[in-house]
Amino acid sequence: MGKEIVAMILAGGRGTRLEALTAKVAKPAVYFGGKYRIIDFPLSNCANSGIDVVGVLTQYESVLLGTYVGAGSKWGLDGNNSLAAILPARERGEVGATWYAGTADAIYQNISFLDQYDPEYVLILSGDHIYKMDYADMLAAHKAKGADLTVAVLNVSLKEASRFGIMNTNKDGTIYEFEEKPAKPKSTLASMGIYIFTYKELRKYLIQDAKDENSKHDFGMNIIPSMLNDGKTLYAYEFAGYWKDVGTVESLWQANMDLLDDKELDLYNIKKDWKIYTEDTLSKPQIIGEEACIKHSLVTQGCIVNGDVEGSVLFNNVYIGEGAKVVDSVLMPGVLVEEGAEVYKSIVDEGVVIKAKAVINKEAKEVELVSDNSR
Amino acid sequence: MAKVVGIVNLHSDVTYKGLTEKRPVASVSFLGRYGIIDFVLSNMSNSNLDTVGVLIKEKPRSLFKHLGNGNSWNFNSKSGGVSLLYNEKYANNPMYNHDINNLVENMEFIQKSKADYVVIAPAHIITTMNYADVVEAHVKSGAEITMVYQKIANANEAFVGSDYLKLKGKQVVEIKKNKGNRKERNISLETYVINTKVLLKLVDYAKKISSFFDLKDTLAYLCDEREIKAYEYRGFARCIDSYDAYYKVSMEFLDMDVNTQVFKSGWPIFTNTNDTPPTKYLKNAKVKKSFVANGAIVDGEVEGCILSRNVVIGKNAVVKNCIILNGSKVSPNAHLENVIIDKDARIEKKKELIGEGEPLYVKEGDVV
Repeated sequence: MGKEIVAMILAGGRGTRLEALTAKVAKPAVYFGGKYRIIDFPLSNCANSGIDVVGVLTQYESVLLGTYVGAGSKWGLDGNNSLAAILPARERGEVGATWYAGTADAIYQNISFLDQYDPEYVLILSGDHIYKMDYADMLAAHKAKGADLTVAVLNVSLKEASRFGIMNTNKDGTIYEFEEKPAKPKSTLASMGIYIFTYKELRKYLIQDAKDENSKHDFGMNIIPSMLNDGKTLYAYEFAGYWKDVGTVESLWQANMDLLDDKELDLYNIKKDWKIYTEDTLSKPQIIGEEACIKHSLVTQGCIVNGDVEGSVLFNNVYIGEGAKVVDSVLMPGVLVEEGAEVYKSIVDEGVVIKAKAVINKEAKEVELVSDNSR
Repeated sequence: MAKVVGIVNLHSDVTYKGLTEKRPVASVSFLGRYGIIDFVLSNMSNSNLDTVGVLIKEKPRSLFKHLGNGNSWNFNSKSGGVSLLYNEKYANNPMYNHDINNLVENMEFIQKSKADYVVIAPAHIITTMNYADVVEAHVKSGAEITMVYQKIANANEAFVGSDYLKLKGKQVVEIKKNKGNRKERNISLETYVINTKVLLKLVDYAKKISSFFDLKDTLAYLCDEREIKAYEYRGFARCIDSYDAYYKVSMEFLDMDVNTQVFKSGWPIFTNTNDTPPTKYLKNAKVKKSFVANGAIVDGEVEGCILSRNVVIGKNAVVKNCIILNGSKVSPNAHLENVIIDKDARIEKKKELIGEGEPLYVKEGDVV
């Protein structure tokens, strides 16, 4: 018996717009939200949705990501019938060494992995989005509609619509057209890069696409248009909730800030029991000193806070010295803010030391990325 | 290299009032994210012991859940692991439910381990002891039994009711109870290194002297006829032997000079983890001199407190010198001082709670 559904997470991207943050790690491994890495979100969603075989497709800086994902034990995916499998671009017998040429090609190169589980459906995910979603609901909709492909969409504002791949739909939710970043959007349903394919169809289209030398081997640009062309049933599944593509320093900062407001992503399972699993580091509880003042912030274990922290997100083992001031900032693991230093509206990269009395980005107009100790 | 197994000995008369009504001392929450037993297990792990047995006296449920397969403490090498040693036969028979009988019942654990030495240590005495050093001294001295002690100058306040050792050079000549009538004592840390063969014989022998003799009694009885060596441990040691001591020692940890003696580099304290999100401080938060575990949501004033995972402090509540365990919620505008709140309790109607003398205790799951 095959699996009903297997998930494939596309985690090969570099994320160049994250600048120094992805100099040595792939974008899905970038830290987020005080203790997570971005890929914890799709992996936890899979685990919580009852999907127990997950392939993680890696390419750029795959070692750290591969070690982090491991066999999937952090997400409870390491049982006898479950697995997180790292699928790096690699040398293969029949074709030799190849890179993943595009999103569709990455899946195509792992058809034998999918065949091994003989799934009825395949869920394609992106490794760099922040959201909580029950894929089981989406699968139920896919089955109910008898779709060949279901695309999760988010209703964005008309202004934002030009930044996304837009699905133009009929009244019944079926998709009749896909437009990548349209100048004049006809709809505001933006693709979230989350697809459920009926595997039989996916397999056929991937093989066909691989033979096409003019194809960019991309789901949005090639696979979806050919399926539409052939009159396949494509269905838009509307997701109402928090979703963020953290592709830039600014959007990564904003997504971290979003966590400070109760109305956004609910990490505390107040509304629904849906934990985001991650690596728990070996650290003591956070220690708040006598002169500390913390407001409107997320602080995680291992931190020692002796100064003022406001509107900020502190990862594990961050140290804030006496008289230091941290405002509207994201401090990655192990950041040391020495006595009397001030940091405003910044993302401070892992392990960076902010010297005593240094003042960073006081004007606080743009988000500043601090990635070395020079100051 | 000699093979050493560790035994955590949970047989003792220590209780913490309400906190130990449903759970053993070993799994009482400590410092926000640990169980009391984590310290001795981490010491064993850091001392490179990979086979550990836990002698469980009673109320094992929470302990089974906490320990799992032991891999939080790195005892997951296929040749080692954690074994939970429980003596069901005497579970409801207090006089017989002692460590010697538990060892008799679970002797196979020691026999199968093929260890040369056994390290036995309690959970309620918090140390950062390196057992490898003790074993090394034990081997060097040629002793069959080594007892670890600490020379303290406040025996009139601490370790009252524990044993102290009378020494002649490095040899233990008498073991007596500390009644708190003197300041300087060589207090037994109830930590022993014993040659495995000697331990096996000792267990047999103890039964012959008295069926009610536990390991402590047996060693006290034997110290004039067998050579027992003393090993002085000079590091951090606190005995959490009562509800009051639990509160006092917890509060002592808020002092950086104290907690840095335990949380030091190269000597991690392991525990099982829960994937709780970071602590969220809201706009009305005002937190000072506190330990806070992950998952808490704080919107009030907190001073001199230990907050465990997922604790909620409501808007403008004032909480001072309190220990609040996992998942408990304090309503907005409440005022709490000197209170210990057990897990998953809610402070809703009685909004002013002040412990006079000893800290006031709110039971697990209660709504007050």
